[in-house]
Amino acid sequence: MIEVSNLQKEFLNGQESTQVLKGVNLNIEEGEFIAIMGPSGSGKSTLLQLLGGLDVPTKGEIEIDHTPIHAMKEKERTVFRRKNMGFVFQNYQLLPNLTVEENIAFPLHADGKLTKENIEWIHELTRSVGLEGLNDKRVNLLSGGQQQRVAIARALANHPTVLLADEPTGNLDRARAEEILVLLSTFHRKNKQTIVMVTHDIFAAGFADRIILFKDGIIDQVISREDSDYAKYLANFMA
Amino acid sequence: MSVKYGILTLLYKQKNHGYELKLELDSLLGTKAKINPGQIYTTLDRLIRDQLVSSAGMDQQERKVYELELKGKEELEKWLLEPVPYNTSKEDFFFKWSCARKIQFHDEQQMLEQQKTLIIQEVMELTQLKTEFLFEGDETKYLLTTGMLFHLDADLNWINQVVNRNR
Repeated sequence: MIEVSNLQKEFLNGQESTQVLKGVNLNIEEGEFIAIMGPSGSGKSTLLQLLGGLDVPTKGEIEIDHTPIHAMKEKERTVFRRKNMGFVFQNYQLLPNLTVEENIAFPLHADGKLTKENIEWIHELTRSVGLEGLNDKRVNLLSGGQQQRVAIARALANHPTVLLADEPTGNLDRARAEEILVLLSTFHRKNKQTIVMVTHDIFAAGFADRIILFKDGIIDQVISREDSDYAKYLANFMA
Repeated sequence: MSVKYGILTLLYKQKNHGYELKLELDSLLGTKAKINPGQIYTTLDRLIRDQLVSSAGMDQQERKVYELELKGKEELEKWLLEPVPYNTSKEDFFFKWSCARKIQFHDEQQMLEQQKTLIIQEVMELTQLKTEFLFEGDETKYLLTTGMLFHLDADLNWINQVVNRNR
């Protein structure tokens, strides 16, 4: 489903260049829930942006469902992104003056796809993220946890191939974070939604099928529960 | 954990025999605990002596059946309403760590790291278990496991604080 090979990304700042990704190779299967962990500046969020087509690599390849997105022109990439990717960010990134329903339906508006069936789908999404009855409420009047629920529903409005979440619980306390993770986990289990989530939090990463540990722009280790020493490795990594 | 109140709870809604009480008590206690059958019968004897439970004859398979007395019901309800005091210093690792500090144990760092590894393993296993309970619709077990994870979160933060202050 997602195939990444020798992915590199360099940022230029005046005369200086910083290589943030130094050759990442990664395969993600359809329906997998992947967590990416790593210290600040290790390149994990950059990887997510490249996977989502929000930015382009300096070198290397990304294929999503056999479509090479690294080679796309910007306009083509934008269309692909709208159709196939859902994004959830730490700071929600909603349109504050629009209602819950308007925010969730926004990706469909942008693609001119707001049919009667789609409106029913938006209502269903609103219910499934537990915001029934709040459809007409402006999102800036909601709590952080509720706003992130709106963001998840919005990310799913287009039936994305992949849901990319960058620290989705980073602004929430443990109890609110749990609600968001349960939601993601529910979509993963029930709809076989492929999810790639960047997190610094082991309690969030525990929901994933596999954990990818990122360090200095490369994958340090891929952790699965079947490995006998995985907890020791995680503890050392988090030290 | 009290076997006494566990038994009173299980007899609250219906009569039962000793073996079934043992199985249900294991389940009530959650994922890792197992009760020794002998403990069930000695506790039942004490509950009968104190008139909290009485013997209600035999079932069809000739097993002794027990039922809750009014006094037992009142005792259980009184216990349920008593807040549980927090006494964290009694927790094993806090005590062990205090002992290590007392003797200025040379391997305190390793001790903390090993405990941290154990916590992370528990976090991973319990999170998996928790999602199973959630999708099976077992709300009580889901919430209990969530509570255990919240405790582990606090323990992990504390160990990180100790490690940082030791640097």
